[in-house]
Amino acid sequence: MFIDHHFSFLAKCVYNVSLSLVADLRVRPQSIVRTFLISFLASPKSMREFLRSYRIFATLLIGMSVLGVGILATYPARADQNESLLRPSLPDSPTVSSNETLVEIPQSLTEIYVQGGVPKSLPQLIEMEQQQQRVAGRIGACTVNVAIGPAQGCGVIVTASGYVLTAAHVGMRPGKSAIITFSNGRTAKATTLGMNRGVDAGLMKINDGQNDGKPWQYANLGRSENLVAGMWCIAAGHPGGFDRERGPVARVGRILKVRDESIVTDCALIGGDSGGPLFDLTGRLIAVHSRIGNDVADNLHIPIEHYDMSWNRLAASEAWGYLPGFKPVLGVRGDPTSAVAKIEVVKIGSPAEEAGIRTGDVIEQFGDAMISDFNSLTAAVADTMPGERALCWIIRKGERIRLSVEIGRDD
Amino acid sequence: MKMVIALMKDRRPFRALIQRAGLCVFALTCLGNGVVVSQETQIPDWLEDRMSLRTSNRRDNGDMIALVRPLTEAIGESVVQVVSVGKVVALGVIVSEDGYVLTKRSELSVDPIRVRLASGQLLPARVAAVRRVNDLALLRIDEVGKPLKPASFVDVTPPVGAFLVSAGRGGNPIGLGSVGVGSRKVEHSGRLGVQLYNSDGKATVEVVLPASGAEAAGVEPGDKILAINGREESNSSSVMRVLREMFPGENVRLTILRGSEKMNLDAKIRDLGVMLESENDSKVNGQRSARLSGFEKVIQHDTVLDPSECGGPVVDSQGRVIGINIARAGRVVSYALPASVVMQDVSDMLNDARSSR
Repeated sequence: MFIDHHFSFLAKCVYNVSLSLVADLRVRPQSIVRTFLISFLASPKSMREFLRSYRIFATLLIGMSVLGVGILATYPARADQNESLLRPSLPDSPTVSSNETLVEIPQSLTEIYVQGGVPKSLPQLIEMEQQQQRVAGRIGACTVNVAIGPAQGCGVIVTASGYVLTAAHVGMRPGKSAIITFSNGRTAKATTLGMNRGVDAGLMKINDGQNDGKPWQYANLGRSENLVAGMWCIAAGHPGGFDRERGPVARVGRILKVRDESIVTDCALIGGDSGGPLFDLTGRLIAVHSRIGNDVADNLHIPIEHYDMSWNRLAASEAWGYLPGFKPVLGVRGDPTSAVAKIEVVKIGSPAEEAGIRTGDVIEQFGDAMISDFNSLTAAVADTMPGERALCWIIRKGERIRLSVEIGRDD
Repeated sequence: MKMVIALMKDRRPFRALIQRAGLCVFALTCLGNGVVVSQETQIPDWLEDRMSLRTSNRRDNGDMIALVRPLTEAIGESVVQVVSVGKVVALGVIVSEDGYVLTKRSELSVDPIRVRLASGQLLPARVAAVRRVNDLALLRIDEVGKPLKPASFVDVTPPVGAFLVSAGRGGNPIGLGSVGVGSRKVEHSGRLGVQLYNSDGKATVEVVLPASGAEAAGVEPGDKILAINGREESNSSSVMRVLREMFPGENVRLTILRGSEKMNLDAKIRDLGVMLESENDSKVNGQRSARLSGFEKVIQHDTVLDPSECGGPVVDSQGRVIGINIARAGRVVSYALPASVVMQDVSDMLNDARSSR
């Protein structure tokens, strides 16, 4: 047999592309240090508070054990950096850690950084371009490819301990194991945490013990509230999936629209970019890539604030909500008070009908979820993404059969 | 029309622009019906929203293009359009005073070729030399009046995050983008889109891949491929060897035996990645060059280009000509051949062309 082509199907995460299932795996924190750190999680209200308390502690640890006390002295300034997006030049903290993305910005660019707009002259354009290049040079290390089964998206590391922001549709649901790939091709295992599907925000964490006790390189955080239309920004990601010969791709563009639930830029994105980072001109993370429209200037990103607001729920592996037009649907009805998930109605033209589910079938398992009654089936369907394929185990006339369902979307 | 002009004086110029555009659309649809356009016409929010997204703050908006215009205008005389059967198929760069023009080869499918200079003059041209590996062609304008002004390339590699401006005919800036990743070689996976086996000692089609050039040309399972481009092939492996030499965007003539009937089918080689992509990706990728992969070295940038805008020069923020656009490869990708590759290939092609004259 001679084959004119190689069949290497690469499923890529774009917001409405099929995703497949992989086995469920939950990894618990193991080390004493980890357990102690995790306790920070419960008390702070937001990601920022968490990061601040965590970073001070982590820096103490790292400072004492690895790098000596040098970092300790500069730390307080760095701990505050995420507080003030509008203080771009940070004159008091000339030491910027090589582990981070923050880049000092020249005074002459302050105005264009804060307000956006077009450079006044070609020399200023060149100055801004040099700033873009400095940021682009730093953001590759914390931008990772995320693979869950055959689907690929991106993520961005935001703590030295390995918390990774991503899109909810990349993470899919809490407790899934993912392979993350760094720009240099190195891989690590990670586990998905919570998902705010209402805005497509997802959280995951690199499993412990994979970096010889060293900190991961991470992105500094900006603030959504200071974003305005016209600001310049730099997107990173792996368009089309991970390509070792190529690596992550940077794109410089501008914010076109700021809304509470999303921002729009002309940084062109495509399948594989989802979950990747959007930075401002100082290298601060301001948003995470989510979805696109047909026009090349329709690129939607999740503002960073959403991770902040829901940090506790995300870190506690909660999943909730759905994007308008992306509510997953199976198309069956049953009796919620019945002891089993017995199908009473299969809607005409529904994904269930297409898959061959019939009235009278009792669903025992849906994807990874064991189904005890109709409510648990409803919950299992709500935990999927439209376009995803789920295997379904069914009892029909005493026989156990297996069907594959492609989840639909409720318009 | 009076009303439209009146609206231009609105204190909020952008809103006025949208209303004007909206009214024009409305006016056009009403044309000939004798309907009077009402000034109260409301632009729906969604339309205003979309139009404002597309114009006001984009990185390549009017103000930005005006800012970078001097960079491309400086080389304006060296940028031409390549016209084939009355259609602009590519841009080109003048590389010699005596009438040699560099362009993208795969867009030149049909003769006759003409070149439109910056001055607007339209002159006949012919292909004088080609470099298949990088999809370059050297055109020759035979009747050059006064000496042309060649562009001078500068061998610098723009860093990731740098701005690039693409020049159109006469130095009109046609796009602004940024460098996405370090320069690299781009492999191709040009495929006809068939699986073959040997039957009666002939290459026989077992499967035709959907969305492939083979499918578009009407190749069917069971067809026996006897010859490619007029050259007889003895079996599957020899057919495969020939096909593997082909780049995406190239045409092959297949001589096929179907049952007892012998026929010729013309098929285009396509990139496997394009054949396999989802319908959604295909939609968002938009118009792309047929030859979008297989280059020795490229600068990847994200300037939005039409496939017919390839072949023209790319300048950096200091106005240096750092290469030429060679492919629109997708929504987020345009490729430029760097000056190092262009200078070498141009020098080789000029030698070929001049020695064969």
